[in-house]
Amino acid sequence: MTDPEIVHPGASSAGHVKAAGERAPYLVAFAVLVALTLVEIGVVKSGGIPHGAAVIALIAIATAKAALIALFYMHLRYETRILKLTVLAPLVAPAVYGLLLMLDAAWRHLR
Amino acid sequence: MWIFLLSDAFSFGALLIAEGILYAGHKPWRQPSEPELGIGFTAVLTFILLCTSLTNVLAWAAAAGGRRKQAAQLLAITALGGAVFLVGQFQEWFGIWAPGLLHEGLVFGQSPRASTFYVITGYHGFHVLIGVAYILAILFGYLRGRVTERQIELLGLYWCFVDFVWAFVFSFVYLLPSLSGA
Repeated sequence: MTDPEIVHPGASSAGHVKAAGERAPYLVAFAVLVALTLVEIGVVKSGGIPHGAAVIALIAIATAKAALIALFYMHLRYETRILKLTVLAPLVAPAVYGLLLMLDAAWRHLR
Repeated sequence: MWIFLLSDAFSFGALLIAEGILYAGHKPWRQPSEPELGIGFTAVLTFILLCTSLTNVLAWAAAAGGRRKQAAQLLAITALGGAVFLVGQFQEWFGIWAPGLLHEGLVFGQSPRASTFYVITGYHGFHVLIGVAYILAILFGYLRGRVTERQIELLGLYWCFVDFVWAFVFSFVYLLPSLSGA
């Protein structure tokens, strides 16, 4: 019961207070997000990248963008480890389902 | 809010997995009569959504720092950005200044590609619409002194989640299927 969020549900945590005073991380995250979006467009438009590599690159970039948004804009990096794991663990499930789906499609293609 | 967002993430995850299953079972994915999706136009909408996430979090920082006027202005800009995104999506679907996808032959129910496109982007657009209404409600409450920065932070969680989901929607609905030209 020492967590300030539990004792005072309406109060911001110390990390959030620190985050409120900083603008640079938000601006840097924004610049990286725009750059990653441009890279995504480049991967699709270039046409010279092998299909498999392009698929992996696009999924990796989308995941990186989502992680940046969650960590910086949704302040997940200032949250407790328990909350981070609570958020991360269920998001892994769709990724596992997606991987199984791709493996199934690849197996059907090879058969 | 996190519990709600996780449950919402599952619904988006289910839709994207359903699209993947349909994509794997239907070749070619794009029917000859169907138009290509406008990746350039959607990239602009993506940029607008990214801008609104920034203005939203800066609005919270301004509110936490006691800069009430700046916080209200940034919240208003965020709502405006969300509205512009919705206008862009309306243009993409139905057409305002140029023919929309519906007019060009991407008709709901005509193919798995069309159905998944409208369901997924429509579901996301619905979240944006709710988000704009949420921002305006918080903004008016903040101007009347009834809203705290904590409530603005919770709003930010929802709004940035909309951007979080869009990162995957943009990749899985627009970019990945266009790789093969299918």
